[in-house]
Amino acid sequence: MLIDGYCALGQDREFDLTADALLRAMDVARVDRAVIAPPDRQLAVLNREGNTAMLRAARACPDRFIPACSVNPWYGNMAREELKRAIEQGARMLVLHPFVQGYLANDELVWPVLDVADQEKIPIYIHTGLPGNSTPWQLVDLAEHFPNVDFIMGHCGATDFWNDVIESAKAVVNIYLEASLTRPFTFDNYVKTLGKTKGIMGSFAPINELTFEWDQMRRVLPESEWPDVYGNNLLRLLEKRGAL
Amino acid sequence: MIIDCHTHWGICWQERDGADPANWLAVLDKHGINKAFLMPHAGIYSMKLCRTDNNTVAALAAQKPERLIPIGTTWPQMGKEAVEEARRCIVNLGMKGLKFHPWLQGFSTADHNFGEICGLMGELNAPVFFHDGTPCYSLPEQIGGLAKRFPKTKFVLGHSGILWNWRSALSVARHPNIWICLCGPHMRAMEILCRKTDPGRILWGTDFGFGFPDSIEYRLNLILRAKIDNKLREKILGENPLQLFKAE
Repeated sequence: MLIDGYCALGQDREFDLTADALLRAMDVARVDRAVIAPPDRQLAVLNREGNTAMLRAARACPDRFIPACSVNPWYGNMAREELKRAIEQGARMLVLHPFVQGYLANDELVWPVLDVADQEKIPIYIHTGLPGNSTPWQLVDLAEHFPNVDFIMGHCGATDFWNDVIESAKAVVNIYLEASLTRPFTFDNYVKTLGKTKGIMGSFAPINELTFEWDQMRRVLPESEWPDVYGNNLLRLLEKRGAL
Repeated sequence: MIIDCHTHWGICWQERDGADPANWLAVLDKHGINKAFLMPHAGIYSMKLCRTDNNTVAALAAQKPERLIPIGTTWPQMGKEAVEEARRCIVNLGMKGLKFHPWLQGFSTADHNFGEICGLMGELNAPVFFHDGTPCYSLPEQIGGLAKRFPKTKFVLGHSGILWNWRSALSVARHPNIWICLCGPHMRAMEILCRKTDPGRILWGTDFGFGFPDSIEYRLNLILRAKIDNKLREKILGENPLQLFKAE
């Protein structure tokens, strides 16, 4: 099964992805399923609206879309309650975006929502990169506090934290690397160095074009790594909560 | 005509191939790249290697003047020598501009000697290229500040803010002496930058040569695939780079 590990569904500012357009792109790229996450505004403030939209889209296409949800930890207990609600209704991944949501990735502010994710056995997708409040080593620090939670390092710190990616990913066992924005010519080396069980393909459509990203990655990544990177690794994390 | 406005004579290439650019150029040939702005790598990693690397880059370009446009570097920490080296690059070595990587080189854009260099580059009509998009020394707004201080100097944002600061690049590109190079932003940012920025001040590049991986294939296909007006795309790839060096 081929899974796109991160697509932002919705329309706002530079985001303009509809469910129909995503399904068409997935068909062209021969991608079976995609994780769908809310766009930036719904990560930052309108969490419930975004989560509800993802759950509704996934209910309409249960064989194609895997709903992610997000809560801004600044909402405190309200964030925990919204996270529990979203998971109960089918969300399979929590998305955190420290840059957009306004905190440092390893701030203890985040811990209460991670406790929920830990109890509910869902992986955390965390956007990483510049300007520097969500870096590979901050993620290691966080992952050490939550050794039972799986963390997906969205974008592998792209670009200027690329120096840190390999050593940070070696430092703990519960970090996985997601490809979007990393570019195939760089991601390929991470997978080669860390092993094929660590990489997860994601396009970050519509910021990137899904079909283009899959095509470019297929040109670079050796075919022996495709099953793991293109689906099995993410599936293993998602199904810790139960079969999809 | 396709001109790659952001390449490096990489340390690993130099160690393997010495002063022979044949293998390096073969990658450009594979993708139909006609010309490239060739920037140093060792020279921006080490102040000690700055002068010799400028000589190396100039000599490489002299081997293929129809294809390689040499860009030098200097280190503001060298004091007066830094300004002399800047002048030597342009006047003696025939280089067309200077490249700076403030977070690697470890200096602030507020550095006094760097100000002198920026002023000199304006007098010599030689653009100043930056690695940009990275705190705390290489943010587009900091380069925007230079553009205001030195209105006669052309400044190139070598990465257009990279991935997370492209809106900063978009904002400071309102200064008429700032050019942006599409080398780093994602496809959607490239499309928006192309819609909202002066079409005559947009360049394209790949950062090829920083290591051995072929970064040209992805980045060339990216600009070819992006929703950009075809005439503008041709201008970005072929016409604008040559305009950059023309006197106002």
